[in-house]
Amino acid sequence: MPTVTLTLNGRPVSAQVENSTLLVDLLRQQLGLTGTHVGCDTAQCGCCTVVIDGLAVKSCNQLAVQAAGRDVTTVEGLARDGRLHPVQDAFVECHGLQCGYCTPGMVMSTVALLGQNPHPSEGEIVDALEGNLCRCTGYVNIVAAVQKAAATMAGGQAR
Amino acid sequence: MSAVPGSFDAGHATRFGSGRAVRRVEDPALVQGSGQFTDDVSLPGQAWLAFLRSDRAHARIVSIDTAAAAALPGVLKVFTGADLHAAGVQPIALPPGFKRPDGQAASAPPKQPLARDVVRFVGEPVVAVVADSREAARAAAAAVWVEYEDLPAVASLDAALAPGAPEVWPAAPGNVLAEARYGDTAATEAAFAKAACRVSVEIDNQRLAPSPMEPRSVLAYLDGDRLTVRLSSQMPTAVRGGLAAALPGRTAENVRVLVGDVGGGFGMKTGIYPEDVVVGWAALVTGRPVKWQAERLEEFTSAVHGRDAVSRAELALDANGRVLALRVRTWANVGACPAAVALAIPLVIGPWVITSIYDVPLISLQLTTVLTHQMATGAYRGAGRPESVYIIERLMDAAAREMRLDPAELRRRNMIRPEQMPYTNAMAQVYDSGRFEQVLDRGLALADWSGFEARRAEARRRGRLRGRGIATFLEWTGGNALEENVRVDVTADGFIELSSATMAMGQGIATSYVQLAHDVFGVPLERIRVMQGDTDRANGFGSAGSRSLFTGGGAVHVASVRTVEEAKKLAGEALEASANDIEYRAGRFGVVGTDLGIGLFELAARQAGARIVVSGTAKAGGPSWPNGCHVCEVEIDPETGAVEVVAYASVNDIGRVISPAIVRGQVEGGAVQGIGQALCEKVSYAADTGQLLSASFMDYAMPRVDGFRAFKTEFDESVPCLTNVLGAKGVGELGTIGATPAVVNAVVDALAAHGLGRDAERVQMPLTPEAVWRALRREFPSVLPRQAA
Repeated sequence: MPTVTLTLNGRPVSAQVENSTLLVDLLRQQLGLTGTHVGCDTAQCGCCTVVIDGLAVKSCNQLAVQAAGRDVTTVEGLARDGRLHPVQDAFVECHGLQCGYCTPGMVMSTVALLGQNPHPSEGEIVDALEGNLCRCTGYVNIVAAVQKAAATMAGGQAR
Repeated sequence: MSAVPGSFDAGHATRFGSGRAVRRVEDPALVQGSGQFTDDVSLPGQAWLAFLRSDRAHARIVSIDTAAAAALPGVLKVFTGADLHAAGVQPIALPPGFKRPDGQAASAPPKQPLARDVVRFVGEPVVAVVADSREAARAAAAAVWVEYEDLPAVASLDAALAPGAPEVWPAAPGNVLAEARYGDTAATEAAFAKAACRVSVEIDNQRLAPSPMEPRSVLAYLDGDRLTVRLSSQMPTAVRGGLAAALPGRTAENVRVLVGDVGGGFGMKTGIYPEDVVVGWAALVTGRPVKWQAERLEEFTSAVHGRDAVSRAELALDANGRVLALRVRTWANVGACPAAVALAIPLVIGPWVITSIYDVPLISLQLTTVLTHQMATGAYRGAGRPESVYIIERLMDAAAREMRLDPAELRRRNMIRPEQMPYTNAMAQVYDSGRFEQVLDRGLALADWSGFEARRAEARRRGRLRGRGIATFLEWTGGNALEENVRVDVTADGFIELSSATMAMGQGIATSYVQLAHDVFGVPLERIRVMQGDTDRANGFGSAGSRSLFTGGGAVHVASVRTVEEAKKLAGEALEASANDIEYRAGRFGVVGTDLGIGLFELAARQAGARIVVSGTAKAGGPSWPNGCHVCEVEIDPETGAVEVVAYASVNDIGRVISPAIVRGQVEGGAVQGIGQALCEKVSYAADTGQLLSASFMDYAMPRVDGFRAFKTEFDESVPCLTNVLGAKGVGELGTIGATPAVVNAVVDALAAHGLGRDAERVQMPLTPEAVWRALRREFPSVLPRQAA
């Protein structure tokens, strides 16, 4: 079995995987990071989205070995010192989640978006979340949460 | 105790109590990925289970060869339906209570945990494999060889009702499972004969896939000799009962059901599934923890579907636009192995609201449930009310068009008036409260109803067809399970625990309960915890039918008040004072007129077991009847047929609002699901083979983020519910029920104004670009069974 070494939530991690092991299974089954969810088997729901080298990636659609040498962030890697990441905080503040199953994927897609584009228009937000399904919220408060997070993070940079 | 209307007092109103928007208590864990959905829990020594499912709609099982699968590495057990039958595992049978047209008791194929002898729909579980890993289990399931003898399938309502059609079940001749008739047929016919206006519409409430984002998941294990089953469910107690009934040697006492976070339910997770029984059995037989996590494909094929009924609906009106009578003929396709709820939805629940908020003197309903070789239908957000409200709201628009009346005006003329409350409808359902005309007027103002023609003209200049639709409606909530119990534990370490058998599934019920308890206890929200999802702790009906807040929330209030009263006695003993002299405020008891006092949690520490435990029961006096006025505007691109929702305003009477942000989220998120039915969602089976065509999110069109989001949503709190202590009405399904007719009425209006006239009423959901494009060319689908047409 090959050994895959990657940076996961800021720390180096090595694991033995099958060639066929999906990244999401490495995260959930082997490393116990169950915040990354699986909502479909065809890479369409986005519940399993993680950030790899700054890009939003569906971890059910990547082999674990493809993550070798990469910098992977999951939803568990966002909060610092017990404080929510501004994107997480905005989802709470705006009621951007109901059941919470799609939420880690939504949050990670948002983190990737705001990393690349700190001031997205509403259309750019919609484009960035097009690959994430939510059945509860109707997306109303999800887009509002992304806008709030963008404003908060821009304010933080200005100080 | 019974509900005492108006007895609720929010106490010392605070920033965090009922009526205030607060940050949900559920959210910190969920946004950090530290929720505990079933598949997030794994146990040492855990094995995995995978199913081999039927790949055909109707076939006889000739033989099953499991040898190759059993020989694969890591495989622990391979079960067939025959194995389970031999071991005494019971099927899940349709309970009595429904009748066929000939008066015989309705009978349908029982749900076998694994198919025996015959498979009856694509996706029916046939073989289960337990192995050391998920991959090994799935590989072994694929290595099982099943020899089938194909049998003719009835893969549609039309095929099932055709003369001489193959029968799904011998005890359901002609594939007719059950029938219900209501009303006065002769008087209705007479009313139609003398009516100044008669309109008729044909309706397809198409089959939908509920599709909560979390697939079903079950983890079963032995804890001593008790079987513990952890799963994603809205009804833990019902699942426990189902497991005890199906598994030999199991009773409610030696089965425990645990539910963690539930990633959406929408009714789909209300009952026991065959898969739950098989996973439980696998744990008993192997002695190891066994987990099954459904793939999305399994959810599309074998989790219950919603809706699926076609109707011919007719309305008779006098010259003033007053409804004289309503006549509806419905055929509901309930699939192959339905549970009782699949029959109750079209035969009982739907009819209760078919006259909605209108004073309809006469009805004649004939409703038939039909077996087909498809997955069973079941509860899906609204469960019968969306179908009925869609029918009456489509009829109201048809009548307004025929009579050249404003559709809002026609509705107004027929609305039940406040002075008619309590009002008994034609189905003998009693509405306690409602000011429908007031809600209508607020809705029309919010939507700028009178300014519409200018917007239509402006759109026309842009080459777009603009339409406006309205739905004024009510719905029935509570599941007729109106009693709920809550246990309060005040603990020495500083928490108030509320134990309830209702289930969180995204609706924020824990936050609402915490707010209600805060009203009484006055302690910080983070000191109050809601304990759900453990049948060792609380049992009851569970969460369905928009019942949790007005029943369970009532019990939270009652139990909290009782707890303070009981604790006052304990405080009196501790402080050597009469309980009458004890006052309570914000976590502290004091003796009136002194500075003597003791904290609530300190008092708990002094009790036996270091806690104060008090239970409270609340019983609502009847269902609640939330209602609303939803107005939608759409624009159609005549080149492509694409429909865009461009405005949506709603005013909703849900009685007293406990958690404003949450109820807004319920109405708007629910409305997007209703828009999904109107515009894009449809479960499709191949009419010849019964293969499921919409078997992934690529083929089943869920609403996405690019849809409409700019809702204008208001709540009319002036009409508290009179049947429960909180004055609240159920809100979980209201948005879904209102949105579908509002959107479709808007599309029909746009097409009618474009020159189609009343022909536009022949469109059917989902109103995809193709459907609308064809409608613009006057091509319409026919939906009624051929024998009815």
